[in-house]
Amino acid sequence: MLAKKTPLLQSFRSLVFRHASHLSRQQYDVIVVGGGHAGTEAAAAAARVGAETLLVTQKKNTIGALSCNPSLGGIGKGQLVKEVDALDGLCGRAGDWAGIHFSILNRSKGPAVWGPRAQLDRQRYREFIQSELLSTPRLTVLEGSVEELLVTEPNPEEPGQHRVKGICLANGNHPISASSVVLTTGTFLSGSLFVGQTTSPGGRIGDAPSSPGLSQTLRERLGLRTGRLRTGTPPRIVKDSVDLSEAQLHPPDSHPTPFSFLNTHTHCKPEEQLPCYLTFTTPGVERVVRESLHLNCHIQQDAKGPRYCPSIESRVLRFPGRRHQVWLEPEGMASDLLYPQGLSMTMPPDVQLRLIREIPAMHRAEIHTPGYGVQYDFVCPTQLSPALQVKSTQGLFLAGQINGTTGYEEAAAQGLWAGVNAARWALSMPLVALSRTESYIGVLIDDLVSRGITEPYRMFTSRAEYRTSLRPDNADLRLTLKGFEEVGCVSSLRYQKAVRVRDKLQEALAALEAIALSSAKWRKKLPGIHMTVYKSHCDLQKKEIERVQKEENMCLSPDLDYFSLPISLSEEVREILDRVRPSTLGAASRLQGITPAAVINLLHYVKYTGQKERGIHRNQPNQKEQGEEQRCQHDCEH
Amino acid sequence: NKPTQNYIRPCYFLIPSRGTPLSRLLCNCDEVSAGLASADTIFALSSGHGRCGVAVVRVSGPASVTSLRSMAGLTGSLPPPRKALLRSITDPLTREVLDRGLVLWFPAPHSFTGEDSVEFHIHGGPAVITAVLEALGSVPGMRPAEAGEFTRRAFQAGKLGLTEVEGLGDLIHAETEAQRRLALRQMSGELGHLYQDWSNKLKRCLAYVEAFIDFSEDELIEDGVLNQVDRVVCNLQTEMEQHLKDKRKGERLRSGVQVVIAGATNAGKSSLLNSICQRPAAIVSPIAGTTRDVVETALDIGGFPVLLIDTAGLRDSLDVVEREGVRRARERVEQADLTLVVVDCSNLPIDTQQAAAFLQEHLKSVMSTQKQNNCLLVLNKTDLLPEEQRQNLDMELRQVSGLPPACLISCHSNEGLQDFLTALHGNPLVSTVIYCNRISSIKIMKCDTIFAIY
Repeated sequence: MLAKKTPLLQSFRSLVFRHASHLSRQQYDVIVVGGGHAGTEAAAAAARVGAETLLVTQKKNTIGALSCNPSLGGIGKGQLVKEVDALDGLCGRAGDWAGIHFSILNRSKGPAVWGPRAQLDRQRYREFIQSELLSTPRLTVLEGSVEELLVTEPNPEEPGQHRVKGICLANGNHPISASSVVLTTGTFLSGSLFVGQTTSPGGRIGDAPSSPGLSQTLRERLGLRTGRLRTGTPPRIVKDSVDLSEAQLHPPDSHPTPFSFLNTHTHCKPEEQLPCYLTFTTPGVERVVRESLHLNCHIQQDAKGPRYCPSIESRVLRFPGRRHQVWLEPEGMASDLLYPQGLSMTMPPDVQLRLIREIPAMHRAEIHTPGYGVQYDFVCPTQLSPALQVKSTQGLFLAGQINGTTGYEEAAAQGLWAGVNAARWALSMPLVALSRTESYIGVLIDDLVSRGITEPYRMFTSRAEYRTSLRPDNADLRLTLKGFEEVGCVSSLRYQKAVRVRDKLQEALAALEAIALSSAKWRKKLPGIHMTVYKSHCDLQKKEIERVQKEENMCLSPDLDYFSLPISLSEEVREILDRVRPSTLGAASRLQGITPAAVINLLHYVKYTGQKERGIHRNQPNQKEQGEEQRCQHDCEH
Repeated sequence: NKPTQNYIRPCYFLIPSRGTPLSRLLCNCDEVSAGLASADTIFALSSGHGRCGVAVVRVSGPASVTSLRSMAGLTGSLPPPRKALLRSITDPLTREVLDRGLVLWFPAPHSFTGEDSVEFHIHGGPAVITAVLEALGSVPGMRPAEAGEFTRRAFQAGKLGLTEVEGLGDLIHAETEAQRRLALRQMSGELGHLYQDWSNKLKRCLAYVEAFIDFSEDELIEDGVLNQVDRVVCNLQTEMEQHLKDKRKGERLRSGVQVVIAGATNAGKSSLLNSICQRPAAIVSPIAGTTRDVVETALDIGGFPVLLIDTAGLRDSLDVVEREGVRRARERVEQADLTLVVVDCSNLPIDTQQAAAFLQEHLKSVMSTQKQNNCLLVLNKTDLLPEEQRQNLDMELRQVSGLPPACLISCHSNEGLQDFLTALHGNPLVSTVIYCNRISSIKIMKCDTIFAIY
């Protein structure tokens, strides 16, 4: 539920959540701005890597709030949750704690595309996240509104290159300095709210709008290109006023499957789970939408909305004369509200009531909180490196909706990776990138930074070329080991568990390979084990993956002047490269309009400069003094 | 009822059949799936696309050794590395001997690409090259190389010096550009429509399958999408098989570009044929209607196989034999890749503007408007025109639009013949059609293999 909290008094604004000794502290390694899915994962990850971290949020009470739907996971998204968990993130365990209805979507298809999903108890989810952050060493939470992002003047030797210095709070006595800042402002960056014909500044109903200073700095001082997107949320319905006998009952899986590799069972007992209900729109719904279009500001805006989570207005206008699904989802164990998924709407509240009452199950329903729309700024993500660092500003990292994505899982995944790199930057460790050949997180980030977005980006399994290898079941084998050995964001406890799993699987596989039986006998002996045809497919993919990885390992410096490169490239190709600034040869070859000839020429260039850079590298052991490209080069050599 | 079992970590191995050891089975299924296009062994004609004494076909990747064994009849030990060996080169399926030539075996890493590689040094005739490329395409796990792919592999394996790469980009660019132009041209033709149609159907199938995978059971993906995909794929497979079996197209791929000489009687068609082949292939006489049947001559123009076809002059005749000749001539014109329309320019109106209109009319009587895109106007007997009129005509034809390119020649004095041959040679239809046709038929074969796995 979108709680309406009494605004905290100004004097409590800089209330410190914990660690009283840090009250006076004015310097951190990493500052994370925002306490949503991206911000909490970023802060926790940065602290796990070893950075002294500060999380700044407007209201400590809304940390870990589910602003929209009370659910986590799904097809493609479930994979992201498993990967965040494999890297020791929060959302998987929080989901297991707060889940009240677990089901695996897509069970009828291959296990690589199964989508673990859960309905969540909003209260429990928030509590879990908040208590996790409380018990994370090196992490401080501060309540406050960020007024200003502090950056250095551009370095005269590297034009356009800034460096982050810290932030200034609204009540700003002193600036707080940090080597890295992670911005996870969600819908708050120049956010405006829409209900009916009224518009007000803000990113979420009940919360104060964020300061215009931040988006000004991003646009004007740092020269970042931004765009505008929109989204919306449905009205919340009073459960008792709904006639559930008119809706189809959808029970959860009888055995809930936890998200986290650490959990063997969920907090909620199987028999305690709550059901969901399915209903459908009627022609009356379409009529109300059409009649109220002139009262609906949001729908008339140009900004692009989420294609795969459309408002009821877009649904009936795009597909008139059809019956559309509406899911009624529980908001929590003790909650007396229902969340009508599929009914996101922005018309005036009285029209919203008329609309929902056109659906038989809700013919007497009452609205607790009306739905509304949000428009917000995003930063074109092609201006980021694969480490989610702004290319023109050292130490500035962005994650979540600010990068043009939609969805909790997408936000959490970026948050974790931005947090990891923010900490590594602050601690003078080389930045790290995940490849699209090893994870959905890699696919997500590569799609964002090398292709950019034109509409809110959501994950699908079809975005991952190697999805039969990137399965929800092997996220730990793919990422936990690397997360501990190379990235430093995984606890040794989780690491040891993953190592045991890997060793036992290898043993079992070796033992089985030594046995020859007919398929009928195999089936009899190992009932319930998935007999898949992935093996040969995965082996094939492996070759392809190796080829791609070779190209991923060839870095292109972010400050290349493509227009003056002394190699044979057409003007068109130069313009594309200059606009997108791909960070690796692999990313460049995936761009539209880049010819095979251009790739060969770039390859030549990379190899030539690669040799030169290595020379510099040996002479300058102090990494902090070097640009990111050399860090990247350094990475490649290992 | 949803399955109730717990989320079990799936075990990724195949259940073997008939008591085969598991590891062995895995090998087998690798071989099966090696038929997929992504199983990375590539081949290409590495020595230019023209006719030449010796042609080099290069193979690189893990299946190189398979190609060597199956095509050079090497069942026992492999030849010593990097030593030339004279072998009969055979088709791996039909065992038909395609050529006798040198094979060289370059085991990794001592090869151009750093991978296992094989080179076939064969005779440079287009028929031999086609046959060897098609035979390689039928070896499991092999596919035609993309532009620049050999070099890219070599570079990645650290096999290329920097100087060797310089300029290579330009070469690849030229190659891709030629292919692009050809593809564009092909796309407007009948074959193009067919391929486009296949491609659209396949994309639609893919979209259906992806939607089916990415949206859950509850999300209203209509029932039966997969059945629909099954049906379409099944039909496509049949269509492609039939297309590959199609004798006429197969014949054309092998025999090269068909160039038909057509026109009114006594325009000098047979003289043109004789001038091009530099020998009296056809009987020429001043009597109209000398050529009554189709006369075919295979020749080599700029290194490419061309079937030059002389036809009976187009006129209404009472003679039964001649009428049949004219019918055949019209049929050949409709099937031709390129038509040379020969006109006696001494018959043209003196006013050059009228001449252009006359030619347009004349073309209509020879062929359908659609065919006129693949046509060259040959204005013969320029020796009969006064110099001034010839120059005016030449000027006018250069400026007028709506006419195919025109050449003024005299088969009698050989005037303009060289320019005409250059125009014919330079016609991209003649040069690139062959190679790309070969590649596309191999690609259709691959498609067929993949369908078999589906």
